[in-house]
Amino acid sequence: MRRYTPYMLLTPALLFTVFILVYPMAQNLVNSFRDVSLVREGGGWTGLLNYQHVFGDPVFWLAFRNTVVYAVAGTLLALLIGLGLALVLDMHTGAMSSFAATLYSIPWVISPVVAGFAWKWLLNDHFGILNYWLSSAGIARHGTSWLGNPHTALFCVMVARAWQFYPFAMVMFIAGLQSIPAEQYEAASVDGASRIRRFFHITIPNLRPVSSVLLLLGVIWSFNDFNMVFVMTRGGPINASMVLPVLVREFSFVHFDLGKGSALSVLIFALLVTLSYLYLRVLARRERG
Amino acid sequence: MKKILLLFPVAVLALLVLLPFLWTISTSLKPLTEVNRYPPEWVSPSMSLKPYGDMFFYLPFSRYTLNSLIVASSATMLTLVVGSLAAFAFARFRFRGRKQILLVLLLSQMLPGASVIIPLFQLLRTAGLYDTHLGLILVHTAVLLPFVIWLLHGFFSGIPTEVEDAALIDGCSRLEALRRVILPLALPGLGATALFAFLGSWNEFFFALILTNTDATQTIPVGIGLFVGEFEDVWNQMSAAAVLFSIPPLILFMAMRRTFVRGLAAGALQ
Amino acid sequence: MKRIIAGAALVALLGAIVGLSCGRKEDAVELHDWNFGGKPRMIEWLRQRVDAFEQTRGGIRVIQSQKSWNMIRELLYADFSVGTGPDVVNVHANYAAEFGGAGYFYPVNTFPDFQEVRTWYVPHLLESTRYGENYYGLPSSGIAFVLVCNKELFDREGISPPRTWSEFREAARRLTKDTDGDGIVDQYGLVLLGGDKGGFAYRLIPFFLKAGADIMSADLKTILFNSPAGVSALQLIADMYLVDHSITPGFLAYQLTEINDLFCSNKVAMSIEGPWFRGMVDDKSPGKKIYTVPVPVPDDRIAAYDTASTLQDMVMYSINARAKHPEQAWELVKYLRNEEADMAWIREDLGAIATTRNALESPEAKNLSDLSLYVHELMHAKPWPPHPSMIAIASDIFTPYAQKAIVGELSPREAMDQAASEAQEMIEGKR
Repeated sequence: MRRYTPYMLLTPALLFTVFILVYPMAQNLVNSFRDVSLVREGGGWTGLLNYQHVFGDPVFWLAFRNTVVYAVAGTLLALLIGLGLALVLDMHTGAMSSFAATLYSIPWVISPVVAGFAWKWLLNDHFGILNYWLSSAGIARHGTSWLGNPHTALFCVMVARAWQFYPFAMVMFIAGLQSIPAEQYEAASVDGASRIRRFFHITIPNLRPVSSVLLLLGVIWSFNDFNMVFVMTRGGPINASMVLPVLVREFSFVHFDLGKGSALSVLIFALLVTLSYLYLRVLARRERG
Repeated sequence: MKKILLLFPVAVLALLVLLPFLWTISTSLKPLTEVNRYPPEWVSPSMSLKPYGDMFFYLPFSRYTLNSLIVASSATMLTLVVGSLAAFAFARFRFRGRKQILLVLLLSQMLPGASVIIPLFQLLRTAGLYDTHLGLILVHTAVLLPFVIWLLHGFFSGIPTEVEDAALIDGCSRLEALRRVILPLALPGLGATALFAFLGSWNEFFFALILTNTDATQTIPVGIGLFVGEFEDVWNQMSAAAVLFSIPPLILFMAMRRTFVRGLAAGALQ
Repeated sequence: MKRIIAGAALVALLGAIVGLSCGRKEDAVELHDWNFGGKPRMIEWLRQRVDAFEQTRGGIRVIQSQKSWNMIRELLYADFSVGTGPDVVNVHANYAAEFGGAGYFYPVNTFPDFQEVRTWYVPHLLESTRYGENYYGLPSSGIAFVLVCNKELFDREGISPPRTWSEFREAARRLTKDTDGDGIVDQYGLVLLGGDKGGFAYRLIPFFLKAGADIMSADLKTILFNSPAGVSALQLIADMYLVDHSITPGFLAYQLTEINDLFCSNKVAMSIEGPWFRGMVDDKSPGKKIYTVPVPVPDDRIAAYDTASTLQDMVMYSINARAKHPEQAWELVKYLRNEEADMAWIREDLGAIATTRNALESPEAKNLSDLSLYVHELMHAKPWPPHPSMIAIASDIFTPYAQKAIVGELSPREAMDQAASEAQEMIEGKR
């Protein structure tokens, strides 16, 4: 009885995992080789046709490139902001710092829908406050369109994403900073190291484990992020900000081609698993060496 | 003196960082005729709380709020129960397949919602759970479980085994030990995890959008999300909806922030 | 003690979920009515009308939901394909081809009193609800796409609304200016609904039609929008954007709300819109005036100015083919769309053009500004070809390619040829 206890404890969780992961991915795999539509019955086997359609669709390559940029650049930006704010907060203690930390965390607490909506309104080309400030300062022309311009739309969505994610990074960095043993700093000051040297030679290396975790999590979560892009641009203009998750929905629920949507889903998952595996191997090797 | 000097950049940063949200709050108080003034103003002549009342005209936000509450609370409870059992197993037992199962859980963390939505849609449809509270609750629970297990695993591992051993010697079963000893000790961690789960479900948009289709089950994010850019322009009412919707998570977060941070750190540094 | 409370809370919650998930069994028949879009006053009027229906009819309970117009197709498909969905819904009349053809809409001509009901309506508007042998709804509001002009800006510049493409281009050019002398253009001649994939095609196609181009052949076998006339229409808009810079730069992200904002704040002078626009502007900027004129024609077609076609759209009320109570749904639809109801479109500006002969020929109709123009345009307007794939072609193929041409990524000729060939593949059943 004792030996089986852990398995029994795990069963409910595993059932859920089967429900949300194993079954759907298996079904996706099956669907991707069939001609399945949201609206028609039937579904004959079509082999690799759906995959051919995906690879042959220029929007797919555009979305792929966009998603990589969105995920990587967005996460890096979030990490930078998070680290910066964590350092600022680390300089203080007490109630004010705690209150400030709460304020800084707000972007993460509010819903992506609210965040996307807020940014969309902020970036409004004629009535948003941002354009008003930028044009008053002479940096941008009045009425510059941010979300309506194919060249800037992706950048804007990425910034909004970084805004939503940075508090998570900040909190982790704060914990990381607080766990750096004080002796290391003391030893360094005894040796006469300047503040900057201490930062680069003690703080940064100590934060590496946290940064690695954050980078991986951030990229994965951003890669999968549907909400921000959907609310702000729906992938437009003319697919300039289309990302893979939004494209899956488009294939499946707008074009009603479930086969193609499933093929894309399989591709996304395979891509993420491969990337994570490679990343973790690189990390492990670095730790060993 | 130094404190006051440091206060200034902190405050400025706070304002910068909260800019989008503050602009939304400002918009939510303006009457429709003043939403589009140029130059844009933070304070317009006839601000009031009227949009907060008017927003109920278009969409049944009271119903949506009820739906959001039902789904988020239920998902939180379910996630905590299932997650605690699993986290306990990982924290206190050594068994075959432990690493592999952990890996599978990690993999499901990597879950692109967009990837599983189609089979889920079909599955819920067949099971008669499409457009129901229960369907959405189950989906939310499944989505939140991996991270919740990760967090709880961190908490449980941090609790020394001595107290538990004492209970076991006294004749408790493992499960009773979990209930009587570990859970009370891990209460702050549980609270933080509950907060995370509640936030995750309350704010969730994608699954709610696709797996529900009527007012009887839709949640607030869907209401807000679908009305961005609709026929009639009601930026002020939608801003009001957005602000109101953010209040419960904000209150919860402010109340539980410290515990939550501690929990996150404990889980992360495992 | 805590356990008991927690247990009770859990039970209560579960009970609430179960209770809310199951329907309530009542004696009354329950109808679900989804209403897409509409001005606030129209929505209010509809709710009042439904209340009146429930009271006079008795025994029927109508649950109304308000939904977003720009996701109408996806929302309906998602539900219809599962076998659920609303009982009564208002849609574009050209959904008759796609949804009627797919068996999702109820053929209302099979109701016994249809032959009498059909006489209420202007015949060619009723025809828009037909696909094949069946009629799939009752007309609600007729729409013709017209050119709306910002009166204040036109008067200030001292010009009158354009009739030909040259005049149109010139007007847009003159109305694009820097009004406050800071060196930056802050007023534009034309704005288009670029952010709505479905809606954008409706704004552009009128130019094609006015130039004499057709969208599809009459037998629905050949795509025709890449004809020289069609390409010239696209070329006009592309030139205005790329050469004259008289179209608002951000148009690719604009929904109706943005267009309304710009109009009301005098940042734009013209747009292509329909009967909803006057009311929308008035709600935002009470008293603001607009000129409503036909969409301009190419210079060499000026003789045909009064008869050239614009795009016709229509909203119709349809019934779900799998409705549990189709007869009661039909009663509701008739009540919402009968001659008495239609008069409301005349008496108030609800953003809709009446479709019953009784209303259109009534003495009060003369009081409505713009009505005569809309009715006139509706008489020669052409609807979208009734092909089941037409909507998909318009939003997923035509719009992206046209937008690429306008912003200069492709030439209008290339864009239309590529779009036409993809559209042709689609109607021939290849992917």
